Amino acid sequence: MIATIKSELRKTIRRPALQVGSGLVGGVVVLVYSVLWYQATHPGSADRPVSIAMLYPDNFVNNVLGAGYPLGAALMIVLGALIAGSEYSWGTMKTLFTQGPSRLTVWAGRTIVFAAWAAFMTLILFAVGAVSSLVVASFEGHAVSWPAIIDIAKGAGAIWLIFAANGALGLALGTLVRQSAAALGVGIVYLLGVEIIVVRFVDGLNNGAYKWFGDLFMGQNSIALLQSFSPHPSLTIGTEQSVGVLLAYVVGLLVVAAGLQWRRDVT
Amino acid sequence: MENTTIVETHSLTKKYGSGVLAVDSVDMSVRRGEVYGFLGPNGAGKTTTLRMLVGLIRPTSGTATVAGHAPGDPRSLARIGSLIESPGFYPYLSGRENLMVVADMANVAHKRVDEVLDIVELASRAGRKFGTYSTGMKQRLGVAAALLKDPDLLILDEPTNGLDPQGMAEMRRLIKEIGHGDRTVLLSSHLLGEVEQICDRVSVISNGRLVRQSTVQDLLGEEGVLVRAQPMAAAQELLTRMFGPEVVSSRDGALYLKTQPDRSVEINRTLMNAGVGVSELRPYERSLEEVFFQLTGEKQGS
Repeated sequence: MIATIKSELRKTIRRPALQVGSGLVGGVVVLVYSVLWYQATHPGSADRPVSIAMLYPDNFVNNVLGAGYPLGAALMIVLGALIAGSEYSWGTMKTLFTQGPSRLTVWAGRTIVFAAWAAFMTLILFAVGAVSSLVVASFEGHAVSWPAIIDIAKGAGAIWLIFAANGALGLALGTLVRQSAAALGVGIVYLLGVEIIVVRFVDGLNNGAYKWFGDLFMGQNSIALLQSFSPHPSLTIGTEQSVGVLLAYVVGLLVVAAGLQWRRDVT
Repeated sequence: MENTTIVETHSLTKKYGSGVLAVDSVDMSVRRGEVYGFLGPNGAGKTTTLRMLVGLIRPTSGTATVAGHAPGDPRSLARIGSLIESPGFYPYLSGRENLMVVADMANVAHKRVDEVLDIVELASRAGRKFGTYSTGMKQRLGVAAALLKDPDLLILDEPTNGLDPQGMAEMRRLIKEIGHGDRTVLLSSHLLGEVEQICDRVSVISNGRLVRQSTVQDLLGEEGVLVRAQPMAAAQELLTRMFGPEVVSSRDGALYLKTQPDRSVEINRTLMNAGVGVSELRPYERSLEEVFFQLTGEKQGS
């Protein structure tokens, strides 16, 4: 397993798509902070007034959580689909499967490295958010006070879980269709369109009698988990449930993909 | 005493879901230390058979033992190096980095990477990205990856595919060098000259079935004598009377005699004494190409 992880890590670190993805996550946080800072210091430049206090370090966790869904989730679907699907289109699957480790070991190594990459992206998100908030506070002459470590850890855990669940969807789709382009296309369309339409339809059926079913979708639980960090959360799904459902997606999708990889011929 | 067979299959069969019978009851045996040619036209089932031997495809029925274990067993894979169809590497990594990824996966020390790069003469270009490699360089990197584990058995599937004549000659030389010694090389090809030059034993597969397995010499058959003479009818009659109808056959304007070439003097004298003019008289050996077309039922030049 160590050998497999080393191998997966070596090729993943150098992969341009992952490097660009990490840069994109950080860039989006900087962009969001820049726009909000401008709006906060230029009254009338936004539909709703933006409080500068929102941008100070004690609130940075809430600010970076906004990048987790749907933008971060979409990015992770793309990266997951690329990582799993391109192994088929480049023919590298057969190269790896004939080296010695079993197919499941190769898959386990890949998912571990991907989970580690999701953690790294979470770290970038939080680090860039923290630095951005520090810059705003410094320029505005505001005293710097950070959120409690436990709150930062909880926020980072939530983002990592959302990244992991959506990344697992990308990995599973890439494995299922055995190429990256179609997989990421299906994943993005699902995230930004299909799930929203289906959930609205289900929630509206029979005066909401089937809302429990709508509450089992990945996007709903991702949003609910992020909202739980809001100072005034309006939760329809409990935090425990959203964490449980997202974990179930991670495990379920990875197990299904592992089964496909273990069972199917590599042609 | 160690078993002298490194690959053995019994009734190995692969039928795809679409109903296509790609490989049909193949019984094959490859001995340790030989260079074994696996011949067949495109689509005959060569690659599917090789994929089954390395565990990439599961057989529908039948059994196979590769390096003492079932195909795909980690203990078997640890002793096999393979290049199946086209080489599969990461285009954004250099040749050397790609080999390091494979070496990590196979648990091979990184110093071996430079050794195999030297063997395939790619060391000077190992720093370039794989995506920029020519077809020949890609094939050589594929062979280098197959050699990383210093394997007992090397499985190469059409290694000269897509190469220019110079690249093909270089690859043949490389395979001969690699196959020298105790290592077994199982080489699939549809290029008959290549197999004739490199291999000790061959098998021929056609429409998924193994139609022949033997040494190259046995496959080519015994030597004979080719005769061109005028008038042909008189020459055929004389020689048939002399050797019997089972020895003499006629095609493409020549007579083929299944007899020892040292009887050429006697043949020449008989024909000359009978007033038949001899324009060509020489030892004749069947080419692998003739045998191949005969075994696979394909038409030459079609």
